[in-house]
Amino acid sequence: MAGQGIERREILRVMALAAAASQFPGFHRWAFACGHVGAPPGAPRPAVYTPQFFTPDEYSTVERLSEMIIPSDGSPGAREAGVSEFIDFMVAGDPGIQYGFRYGLTWLNIHAEEQYAKPFRSLSAEDQTAILKRLAYKEQFRTGEEEGRRFFSLIREYTIMGFYTSRIGLEEIDFPGLKLYSESPGCPHGDDPEHLHLPPAKY
Amino acid sequence: MSAPIYDVIVIGTGAGGGMAIKTLCEAGLKVCALNSGRRLDPAKDFRNHKQAYDMKYRGFGDPRKRDKYYHIENEYTAGLWEHGIAYTTAPGTEWEWPRCHAVGGKTNFWGRSAARMGDIDFKAASRDGFDVDWPVSYEEIAPYYTRVERMIGVASTVQHRPSNPDGDYLPPMKLRCLDYILQKGCEKVGVPYLPDRLAQLTVPHAGHPACHYCGNCTEGCDVGAFFSTPWFFLPLAEKTGNLELRTNCVVRSVLADPSGRAQGVAYVERGTKREVEVYGKAVVVAASCIESARILLNSKSRHFPNGLANSSGQVGRNLCDHLYGTTAYGYLPQLLGQPSFPDNVSDSQVVWMPRWQNLENPHAEKFIRGYSIYPTGGCGEFPWYQGRIEGFGSQLKRDIKRYYPTPASFYCQIPSLPSPTNYVDIDPDVKDIYGIPAVRVHFQWGPNELLMWEHAKAVCGQVLAASGGEFWGAAPNPNTPGYSLHETGTCRMGNDPKRFVTNRFGQTHDVPNLYVCDASVLLSCSDKTTTLSLLAFALRACDHLVENMRHRAA
Repeated sequence: MAGQGIERREILRVMALAAAASQFPGFHRWAFACGHVGAPPGAPRPAVYTPQFFTPDEYSTVERLSEMIIPSDGSPGAREAGVSEFIDFMVAGDPGIQYGFRYGLTWLNIHAEEQYAKPFRSLSAEDQTAILKRLAYKEQFRTGEEEGRRFFSLIREYTIMGFYTSRIGLEEIDFPGLKLYSESPGCPHGDDPEHLHLPPAKY
Repeated sequence: MSAPIYDVIVIGTGAGGGMAIKTLCEAGLKVCALNSGRRLDPAKDFRNHKQAYDMKYRGFGDPRKRDKYYHIENEYTAGLWEHGIAYTTAPGTEWEWPRCHAVGGKTNFWGRSAARMGDIDFKAASRDGFDVDWPVSYEEIAPYYTRVERMIGVASTVQHRPSNPDGDYLPPMKLRCLDYILQKGCEKVGVPYLPDRLAQLTVPHAGHPACHYCGNCTEGCDVGAFFSTPWFFLPLAEKTGNLELRTNCVVRSVLADPSGRAQGVAYVERGTKREVEVYGKAVVVAASCIESARILLNSKSRHFPNGLANSSGQVGRNLCDHLYGTTAYGYLPQLLGQPSFPDNVSDSQVVWMPRWQNLENPHAEKFIRGYSIYPTGGCGEFPWYQGRIEGFGSQLKRDIKRYYPTPASFYCQIPSLPSPTNYVDIDPDVKDIYGIPAVRVHFQWGPNELLMWEHAKAVCGQVLAASGGEFWGAAPNPNTPGYSLHETGTCRMGNDPKRFVTNRFGQTHDVPNLYVCDASVLLSCSDKTTTLSLLAFALRACDHLVENMRHRAA
């Protein structure tokens, strides 16, 4: 493969992507999140995905949770990256985590019904956020909600896994491995080895 | 028609086997090389340019299979490492034995740290009274190190540290932001932080392209920008017309003739399970440290009831390994919120803190000898630090991005001392699927290496703090023995045939036409990796073998 240059490798990579995506029917947004050649960025695709593991109600809750965890807020988030499809795919293939997800979703709905008289997916965004905050932030933890916290940790972990391994997510953190370099890249702050006088934080 | 008799049968195509194959073929000898696995095709087998989203499980691996992955294996290299290997461990021994049986072995995926050993290692026993000096001085082996560096290309700087001798180097890889920060911290603590000796091409070398810094070296290189037997040595050997490479041949034993000389090798063909014998005037065993010992121990005969070339009883003994573990990890607040940087280049193998302990006074520390540390960190493949960040929503997204350049961690490379408790022998009951008796590992970390482990954790914590970093933790225990893939010692070299398996040329004392060309001849691991040294000793062994054959033929 020596001497083929970056363009050929790029084309081979995209061809492999298309082949990989086509093995998994229904992964519309996932394939798009892979930056499929030909799809204009931002072009909507019909998003009818049939979950392999979750019930339709469970799935819409997973979708909502993933969007709350990594929102579309100026840059693309879990929705654009098809994270809920990824989570469904991973849970369908891993019997060891299925109970944790199903039980956690059940807990969430029972908790929502107790607090707000509606299932989680039917609550207002403010109420959903309030519930999640109590599961996410140490200062807001309440006794008796250990199962909810455990589930929140689980779905947050899988949301992060799904987002930051998508093209969109890797671009969000600007993963250096998306590029190749013609020479060894070196620190650009020659006169400040301790890095104490860097330009103000961009993020 | 009688079977052909090759000049040399070489068992194994890893670093040592590859060096033997190239050297012997180029010297005009007819070589039959045996490899237990298949040839790889970089275009099909190496997925170093695949991104996470190209992989079915995003790189996390099939949940039904990922528990069986070796630590060095992942979804990108699934299918390239060997599984189902029959080996056993003695009670109380934990041993991970990742094996790549494909042509080239571990050289396809190695870490590329390639430092020379020095007299501080070769004459360690004279300094501290433990064990025995190597039968070779640095002055004798230095020209071989130079020849090897010129063949494979090693990038580094001249550092003027006799404990870490300088070699013939390509321009170094440049240091990253986190390197300069940690280097300052090391300066304050009084320990070195230097470019590693990296077997990675920063410039084109010997017909091989320079690296393009994709960061996935340990998944196999699709262009051959670092040394591996298939990219560097096999083409040169094949060019001579003297090589016959037989793949998928699992070696059972080395055959000895009635006078006790090696006469060939018995192997099993993987697919057909056909038993084959191949004959040669000399045999080179380079199946990797433990496997070479296994083959010799299984090569019993009337002359050698304890295994071929084992009159010393030392075949399989003196097994040493590098103790690996994360000695500290945390983050560097100076880099919070900064743009991302290519920290992942070379699979984040760029620098090291080479041994600084017991250099002047061999007993300055509570332990003897010494260890090195590899710092790593920065922008990586996945934000593993996410567990340290609370919350969800835009705040989480922003924090993951803010912390992305900041992680810093250290892992140690600590040599175990040769010990009567650490050795391999043949399991009396277990055989593999070809009926070849399995090897049994006996191994425990000894007091010296555990003292170094505690010392390393203390120092790395200090370095992180002195660098202005925040400490998150350290591994409670070292990694499982065998993790480092740097075993040595099972066919040690030495001048005394009663205590050593080979002489200082890797020629077995008992069988003059039997040579060993892998890390099993090295007396111990030292604080450096073993690959460059085993390549230098293998080259020297092959020069000696060629000379030996010419002398007999004359």
